Amino acid sequence: MTPNRRELFGTMLAFAAASRLRGADDGVVIPGKRPMILHNDRPEDLETPLQYFDTYLTRVDSFFVRQHIPRPAPIDRAAYRLKITGMVSKPVELSLDDLRKLPQFTVTATLECTGNGRGFYTPKVPGIQWGRGAVGNADWRGPKMGDVLKLAGVDPKATYLEIDGADQGVASTPDFVRSMPMQKVMHPATLLALSMNGETPDIHGFPARLIVPGWDGTSWVKWVTRLTPTAEMSKGFFMNPGYRFPKYALPPGAPAKPAELEVIEGMPVKSTITAPADQAKLAMGALTIRGFAWAGENSIERVEVSTDGGSKWREASMPSPKLPFAWRLWQLDWRPSAPGYYTILSRATDSAGRVQPFVPVWNPSGYLWNGIDRVGVTVEAA
Amino acid sequence: MRLVVILSLATALSLAFAADQATLERGQKEEGRACLPCHSLRLIHSQRLSRAAWNKELDKMTGWGTKIQDRDALLEYLVANFGDDKPVAPPAMTVDGSAKKQ
Repeated sequence: MTPNRRELFGTMLAFAAASRLRGADDGVVIPGKRPMILHNDRPEDLETPLQYFDTYLTRVDSFFVRQHIPRPAPIDRAAYRLKITGMVSKPVELSLDDLRKLPQFTVTATLECTGNGRGFYTPKVPGIQWGRGAVGNADWRGPKMGDVLKLAGVDPKATYLEIDGADQGVASTPDFVRSMPMQKVMHPATLLALSMNGETPDIHGFPARLIVPGWDGTSWVKWVTRLTPTAEMSKGFFMNPGYRFPKYALPPGAPAKPAELEVIEGMPVKSTITAPADQAKLAMGALTIRGFAWAGENSIERVEVSTDGGSKWREASMPSPKLPFAWRLWQLDWRPSAPGYYTILSRATDSAGRVQPFVPVWNPSGYLWNGIDRVGVTVEAA
Repeated sequence: MRLVVILSLATALSLAFAADQATLERGQKEEGRACLPCHSLRLIHSQRLSRAAWNKELDKMTGWGTKIQDRDALLEYLVANFGDDKPVAPPAMTVDGSAKKQ
């Protein structure tokens, strides 16, 4: 009995300490943002509550924010310069006007944090414990990366591009630098965006942010200030060991085998239920189950919904277009035949035939969660 | 005799309790000193990790430049408060800032 009581005391103490700490810095306001799920306030890591996902394009004031290191002070647009160095015939420094003079393109693409859904993995892994809302869909507009690099003349032997932003690590935290295969850099949909839904918010990486449609958010470097073509992939922390996924699945909880970790390129197929809310109480009658689905570089072929825990599935309708890179909204009308508790599931299939799994692959950093989504609701007699 | 046993147990318990409490308090102080300069505490308090995983995080942060002075106490504090056996707390929400220019 004594050890139990000690444990109980310990737990009570710990709980009291945790409660005090949780209350310590409440009341955080993020200028330009509606109330967001707050994972971290310095630097800001903000998740979009599911009820805001009611439009095809996610509003800037509700778009999620993920930062590894403190964001830079707002960049003076007139003083901004983009350096292109390394394996180029003519190193250049480009102003915003230089970038605006290039042909401008708009790409609609879904941006998802690599760790979206990390909080669902068991056993738990370190990192921001994202739920479903570290994702958003926007119109990104700016010049193609291929056109930007042409101004410096890239050496054909360069197979990777190193991308650095204006943010810098504190203490000895590594700088956030990414390296991307030149083939993806030169894809016509890969942009250096100068706006997002027509806006240029500092918190989302403007005046210039890399857009890598279909790839995980880590590739979408913010506040881009330097591009350096290189002969091989750079070796910074955020390329290795950061943001790698086991080549061969590990038993849940097992340590990573460093030699078998691969850089993440692309995203899996996934759907999310945005309505009704999990554990909602609903009156008997006509209801609509809604959500969105996306599949990296592929497009969404179909979304199936079950209202009985996965016994029977029905195909949802999709009011938005079938496009690569961008999510599709989906919906299904449902009239429950009796009151009671219902488990609603959604399962997406993409244009390459990939199907959302029941059990995503556990991995030591909690990346790429894409399990069949699930909410429970209670339907009450009217 | 029975009373003596109970009293001794109670004394031992309160000593152990006091020691734990002192360690936890030292750990909390160390958390503020070693972690806060670079990021807010919310990042720590939202985690639920095993002792081994917390230990690894302390190694990682040491590598990234923080100088942890009271490592044992910090580890005890993290495990006691944010161990993988502790329930997950619902995340906080920010206050509406949409009317403010960012």
